[in-house]
Amino acid sequence: MDFEFTPHQKQLRSEVQAFIADHMTAALKAELKDDARGSGPEGEVFFAKIMARGWTAVSWPKEYGGQGGSPMDQFIIEEEFQRVGYKRIGGGGTGAPAILASGTEEQKRHFVPATIKGEISFSQGYSEPGCGTDLAGIQCRAIRTGDTYVINGQKIYTTSAHACTHIFLMVRTDPQSKRQAGLSILLVPIDTPGITVRPLWTIQNEPRAPTLTTYGEPRTNEVFLDNVVVPVSCLLGQEGDGWAVARRGLNLDRVGAWRYLISVMRDEDIVNWLKEDGDRNATLRADPRVRDKVAELWIEGQVARLMTMRSMSISQRGEAFSYEGAAEKVWAPEHGVRATEAISQILGPSAQLLNGSPDALDDGLFAHNLLGAFQSTVNHGSVQVMRDQVARNGLGMPRAGR
Amino acid sequence: MDVLLTDDERAVQQAAAEFLATEATPVLVRQAERAPDRMSHELWAKVAELGWLGISLPEQYGGQNLPLSYLGLVFEELGRRTAPVPMLGTMVVAQILARHGSPAQLALLEQVIKGDLILTYAVQEPDTRWSLDAVELAGRMDGEHLVLSGQKAFVDNIHTAGKCLVVFRMSDGSGLGLALIEPTLPGIDATDLITTAADAEAMLRFTDVRVPAADRVGTPGQARAIALEMMDLAAAFTTAMMVGAAGEATHRAVEYAKQRNAFGQPIGSFQAIQHMAADMTIGVDGAQLLVREAISRMGLGLPARVEVAQAKAFANEKCLMAVRMSQQIHGGIGFIAEFDQQLWYRRVAAWSLRCGTTPEHRALVAESLLDRQGPVRLGYDQSLQDDAMRAARVRS
Repeated sequence: MDFEFTPHQKQLRSEVQAFIADHMTAALKAELKDDARGSGPEGEVFFAKIMARGWTAVSWPKEYGGQGGSPMDQFIIEEEFQRVGYKRIGGGGTGAPAILASGTEEQKRHFVPATIKGEISFSQGYSEPGCGTDLAGIQCRAIRTGDTYVINGQKIYTTSAHACTHIFLMVRTDPQSKRQAGLSILLVPIDTPGITVRPLWTIQNEPRAPTLTTYGEPRTNEVFLDNVVVPVSCLLGQEGDGWAVARRGLNLDRVGAWRYLISVMRDEDIVNWLKEDGDRNATLRADPRVRDKVAELWIEGQVARLMTMRSMSISQRGEAFSYEGAAEKVWAPEHGVRATEAISQILGPSAQLLNGSPDALDDGLFAHNLLGAFQSTVNHGSVQVMRDQVARNGLGMPRAGR
Repeated sequence: MDVLLTDDERAVQQAAAEFLATEATPVLVRQAERAPDRMSHELWAKVAELGWLGISLPEQYGGQNLPLSYLGLVFEELGRRTAPVPMLGTMVVAQILARHGSPAQLALLEQVIKGDLILTYAVQEPDTRWSLDAVELAGRMDGEHLVLSGQKAFVDNIHTAGKCLVVFRMSDGSGLGLALIEPTLPGIDATDLITTAADAEAMLRFTDVRVPAADRVGTPGQARAIALEMMDLAAAFTTAMMVGAAGEATHRAVEYAKQRNAFGQPIGSFQAIQHMAADMTIGVDGAQLLVREAISRMGLGLPARVEVAQAKAFANEKCLMAVRMSQQIHGGIGFIAEFDQQLWYRRVAAWSLRCGTTPEHRALVAESLLDRQGPVRLGYDQSLQDDAMRAARVRS
């Protein structure tokens, strides 16, 4: 066991921090306030410099545009950039890792380097009005006709569908199949005729959540697929093997820097707010009840950090996850919720004031967190299903009778 | 950064686990509970024979000089089997002697490693606070002797220990002091306590106890730092035992739930039970990661006071939760004396109250967060903070 970062890892972190200090201009910060991916003119310049440093897709293979480095290096780089509200460098997500794991040589060469450059991006098309966490209930159908699939159905909570180039679509290719069998993954260009994207505005839209809010996305989407025709070359992995293909992507999606940060930044926010000058801050800072609660939250945050480091250690060794990713996906989001709610109680009625309100604290961050934190216990696999996985995969308990 | 065990660490852990599964059986644990010394001398001799007492002690006294994290793993396994041996006090004091002892005190390590000398420590007093501020046992020099008067509480294995490391306060205002004393000195009266762990704890009364000045440990200026080091070792190793015990209680509950039937199916197939088991696992894993980090840092000589406090504060709640939920899953049989399950619950209940309660440890964590200058950042050694990091902080 080694709980210290290596000299190389410490050096890398310092380099990234120095880079950010040098290149994060006021103009770029302003741009990021509206668009955390930073696709405006300042963002493009910034991203080009990051690419030139070799800090994108660090752990991905060299032959597909990555750096062939370690997952821990990638985590460190992602953590530093995401801490300043810059999310374009988040290498995880659903698309490229799954393509690297299951794609053909041609698909890898077509999609992965372009994903790294930001020319291609994927929106996850799993959930439907009738199924969310239990993907076995998917009804969206793709019927093979010659060299094409014809897709009909509806997807929901396709969060970046309005901004992506492709949808990572889970469909039922065998209409007779039940549950997981007969599912497939298709990589579908979002501009294919027959696809309609409609916004679902979230509770973070009016007013807009400030940067670094936990789940501050103002919109997600529903996607309607009406006789959408795509070539069979869009298929990722084997037909009917979509469940396994998706799971390979999901494990990578549930761990990583962003998931970690949104759970623990709340702990730092309250401590640093309490340390600011001001009578109110000083009074609360001296209150033994506040001190006990803040320490409790901080320790929980340390557990979230260590569980993340455990997942990274497994990933770095190339070992298989048993239940560790699921355990982290229970602990970290639930900690984020406990922290958010406890912090509100410490701050009192000011914590209900949203962005733009008179007297709002830190642009309403604490209030917007109240609207966002609990979303992390729902999406990417609810914490209830994650507990099922801990019990079944980690402890070998029988399939639940429910 | 790789928080998983290395092959060597796993080998030591497995050897300890296999040996204790065979030797430290519930039968032996129950026998020790009724023995006058509340320990198994037979198991203690075997532990010594296997060389575990010297695992993290210097080679020149017969030890193996492995990093402290190896000893931490052994404590997890001892806790897993609630092994009735006086390992905690012996290892805590031996570590202190190895680091700060006089030549004569260092020479004792040879006997310790052979299993011939049991050690214990005395920090707390009847006011029960786990804090050096609470130390009132009074020391004064009288020629070549130190004279101690006052009380100590919650001292382990005082009847079997050959030496006890005592923390006292000099009456002349010169601060704290430490001495390695013989528990049989005239003027020491022990009153045995009856604990939920059914182990050997006692209150001590000191009436003008004369201790040779040579038995003091460290220089007077070092006493506070050494005493804190001793308290941290004790809290960390206790936490490691809690992690082992709570892990085993979780394992037992899961296995029981797989074979116990109700409403026509194993209760382990009920989601209500599965989610309890998941929460037990997650809580114990968290405590384990925290304590392994703390012990690992101590072994490297890095500051670890806050890490120890984090681990103990968390384990006090989560390990007790896990053993209590294990009782719940076992139903009525769980609290029947002749059924083994309760052996784990009773010990974790006691251990969660020793070496610092949750509010006490959280107070230290709060101090480190709120009473120091500068912004905090989780998972980032505060000493590493530089201007680049401050600049990177967004909220400005």
